[in-house]
Amino acid sequence: MIKLEVKLALFNLFSKLVFTVLFLLLMPLIFERINLRQVDNELVKNREQMIDLISDVGIEPFITSDTTEAFGSYNILKEEFISLGKVYFDEDLNLIEVNPRLIENEEIEYRVLNYTFELDGQKYLLEIGKSLSAILYTRKNITKVIIIFIVLIILITLITDLQYNRFLLQPLNKIINKLSRISDPSLFDKRSINTSTSDFYQLDKALNDLMEHIDELFRKEKDITVNISHELLTPVSVIRSKLENLLLIENIDPDVSIKIEDSLKTLYRLQSLINSLLMIARIESKQYLREDSFSINDVLREIANEIRPIADDKHVVLEEKYMLDLKIMNANRSLIFSMFYNVINNSVKNTSPEGTIVINSFNQNENKFNVRISDNGKGMSESQLNTIFLRFKTRTVQDESGAGIGLAIAKTIADLHNINVSVESEPGKGTIFSFVIFSIS
Amino acid sequence: MNILIVEDEKDLALEIESFLRSENFLCDIASTGVEASEKIAVNLYDFILLDLGLPDYNGLDLITEARNNNVETSFIIITARGAVEDKVRGLDLGADDYLAKPFSLIELLSRINAVARRKFNIVHQNIQLGDFIMQVQARNVLCKGVEVNLTKKEYDLLQYLCFNHNKVLTRHQLYEHIWGNMLDDQYDSNFIDVHIKNLRKKLNTHAQSDWLETVRGVGYRIRLYNMN
Repeated sequence: MIKLEVKLALFNLFSKLVFTVLFLLLMPLIFERINLRQVDNELVKNREQMIDLISDVGIEPFITSDTTEAFGSYNILKEEFISLGKVYFDEDLNLIEVNPRLIENEEIEYRVLNYTFELDGQKYLLEIGKSLSAILYTRKNITKVIIIFIVLIILITLITDLQYNRFLLQPLNKIINKLSRISDPSLFDKRSINTSTSDFYQLDKALNDLMEHIDELFRKEKDITVNISHELLTPVSVIRSKLENLLLIENIDPDVSIKIEDSLKTLYRLQSLINSLLMIARIESKQYLREDSFSINDVLREIANEIRPIADDKHVVLEEKYMLDLKIMNANRSLIFSMFYNVINNSVKNTSPEGTIVINSFNQNENKFNVRISDNGKGMSESQLNTIFLRFKTRTVQDESGAGIGLAIAKTIADLHNINVSVESEPGKGTIFSFVIFSIS
Repeated sequence: MNILIVEDEKDLALEIESFLRSENFLCDIASTGVEASEKIAVNLYDFILLDLGLPDYNGLDLITEARNNNVETSFIIITARGAVEDKVRGLDLGADDYLAKPFSLIELLSRINAVARRKFNIVHQNIQLGDFIMQVQARNVLCKGVEVNLTKKEYDLLQYLCFNHNKVLTRHQLYEHIWGNMLDDQYDSNFIDVHIKNLRKKLNTHAQSDWLETVRGVGYRIRLYNMN
């Protein structure tokens, strides 16, 4: 992934490079045209001078009327030459062309002006040439300077582009920071961002509005769960008191009291269900404080002691294997207790007599602490595994204990504490629950 | 003892009243905060059972009000709101105990008795259970001078049944009392049966424990004839 400011700067660089290459390719052509035009202008000027000179002093200084046929002159470096000669054809010439000339056994490329004129009934050809090598030499030099200049410009603009883009995109980075920092819409920083760019202003405003809306919806949903639960708990409370009072009547018919207790059992299930939902809603709305520091192994030992009588009664062996200990910080002890308790209790329920449950804690590496609860009980099929942490989905056989929400609660608690939970299971072989606790110092 | 029940749910207030009356308490009911406030100002109560979710009043204000007027009464909060902060705030304001709705009437009674004992410095008498003696202060059970080796949970169960002798306690009531701080979802009626089974086994190695009865389909009861 590349940052936007870099992408923009790279695009600028690329477009500049394309133009530069294009320019460098076209430059010789343009340069040649300009140069030739200038040379041609000079040649024409020289011709005018020559014609003026001839009309002033006559042709004699160059060509004596009968004896000599032609006159030629060039300067020492052979950059220029002038030749004048009699010709005997009818057509008039006035053209400039590139022409190689042999001067002192050296072939040189010249830009040559050919011009014919008549004087005293005799036709003369005037040729004025300028060497092209001089032109080529200057072109090379200028190209070098231009390339250096362009490279410098590109480098400087690349740096300034990067800086400017960074400055320009600062509000966007702030918005990204705000978004990535939070785990819950309620934590979103709703202060607007300081920017003069209307796009960012609108983005920020839209995000703020959206977050506020989501936050409110979340809060409403949580409130509804909490309120409904309270509303439900009150009638449960009334019925429970009535039934308990009935049960306390002296010399009550045993059959009636059994029916009353049966009704109470049903009521307890309802109560437990409501309380579980309430608990999940409270955990999800972060109503539980996370201020305890404690040893994980101590919690596991406490749970093992709690459950051992039940396991013993069922002839299930409960093994504890603690390697290293982790002192967890910023956690809620009673929630962590519930989390492990629910899972271990679940294992006891699902393990047949003479089975074994192993509670194992160890350090995977410096900041990964593992707790593994494995049993050799009935295990679970793949479809059961997929729904194991969903509310109300874990029960396969109707049993009156619990509402089948214990593992969902365990998962919610784990999520609150950033604990990773996973399950492996094979029908008939057993189940392994793994907790990975990341210790953040 | 005098108890004011502050509860806007009339039905529930009446049930609590009928139960407490049968336990020889004098009861009064207030169904609004204003009514409660007036009654507290006029009458002397040993206990006030306070529902926090009153229609016209924040229940916690009643505690502050009473404390400001130097009313010497013990508050037990009963609420369905059950938020942790409510509990902490209530206890901070000087409430003596806290019960989340729905609660067991037996549990309410045992909380009232516990607060009363603290308040009036009542020391527990030893209780005779057949050939056994429960030493409540020392938290142990002796049989002919020999201590019965009970776990903490087993002792707690026995004591709760003992304090509520001649009443049938359901497994759930026992569970709630012993594991009250835990989630309802972990409730397993089997828990209590296992502990009672172990308890009986231990008691029976010393002497007969036929005073600890199983009431079929309902729960358990300690039958004591020699106590008032």
